[in-house]
Amino acid sequence: MTITSPARAPGVLLSPMSIAPNEPLDEHEAEAEETIVEALENAAAPTSEELRGLFEEQALPFIDQLYAAGLRMTRNPADAQDLVQETFVKAFAAFSGFQQGTNLKAWLYRILTNTFINSYRKNQRNPYQHTIDDLEDWQLGSAESATAGSNAGRSAEAEAIDHLPDSAVKDALQAVPEDFRLAVYFADVEGFSYQEIADIMKTPVGTVMSRLHRGRRMLRDLLSDYALERGLSVGATSRRRSNKKNESDIDSDNGV
Amino acid sequence: MSDCGCDKAKAELEEYLHNELRHEDAADIREHMNNCSDCAGEHKVGLVLTEAVRRACKDTAPEELRSVVMERIRAIQTSH
Repeated sequence: MTITSPARAPGVLLSPMSIAPNEPLDEHEAEAEETIVEALENAAAPTSEELRGLFEEQALPFIDQLYAAGLRMTRNPADAQDLVQETFVKAFAAFSGFQQGTNLKAWLYRILTNTFINSYRKNQRNPYQHTIDDLEDWQLGSAESATAGSNAGRSAEAEAIDHLPDSAVKDALQAVPEDFRLAVYFADVEGFSYQEIADIMKTPVGTVMSRLHRGRRMLRDLLSDYALERGLSVGATSRRRSNKKNESDIDSDNGV
Repeated sequence: MSDCGCDKAKAELEEYLHNELRHEDAADIREHMNNCSDCAGEHKVGLVLTEAVRRACKDTAPEELRSVVMERIRAIQTSH
């Protein structure tokens, strides 16, 4: 049911036009109901001018976030720009059907993800994407025990990860297979719930959890390796300050 | 209260981190971590990892993209 009532609880997920048909209405009631809904819709239907104003006010502020997500998806700025542009055009075209008060951010991300999958993923070489969920952990080169070490080892690991330059983290993210990378991005950067991610990626929640777990595991291993290779691991407390120059050099590599 | 133990804690640490546990389960994990530096350390790595990703992924859309999007939206509107 499209309701135009002004305030619905935020965070209510968009289930497309779902009416729970629990109580069957008789025909007259149903008809009457429809007429009322229609009347309400017509009365409140915003002009296209108002709709655009609303869209610019509500949806456009998400452009930075969507662009950042687009970068993680396409892995290059030109494609990310095209993707975001296309997303906004589609979103605007569908905006009159958007139920005010429901989760606009999740709605936009769903359009972004759909657009990406439909127009970009097929251009990328990703022949194994669809089977990757079925791979065992050892086949993905990440083992649960790889970094399970002493407490001291763990706090050194935390310390090292904490001090890595952003470019290293971005590079590591890019190396994580797409579905895992996106699950990590949605959960850890955007703070979407598992259910919201499931809706955005159109997968069961269990798959989301597994992708997240594996994605984070891979990321952690990559980052720990990176830190180890550069000898950043143990006792690196003052590295950030002392190696500042070196770090900004790395940053200027500008890994997307 | 009895400690939930490392097995449960380790298994649920990620859901805990993402605020996906029910209130009581989250309380169990928290309580366990108070007494277990191993799990607390593991949780700390998880937090740092999340923070590192968040920090690295702050990108700003180019100004050009913003104006192109606005233009296209306005073009769509006037064509209706």
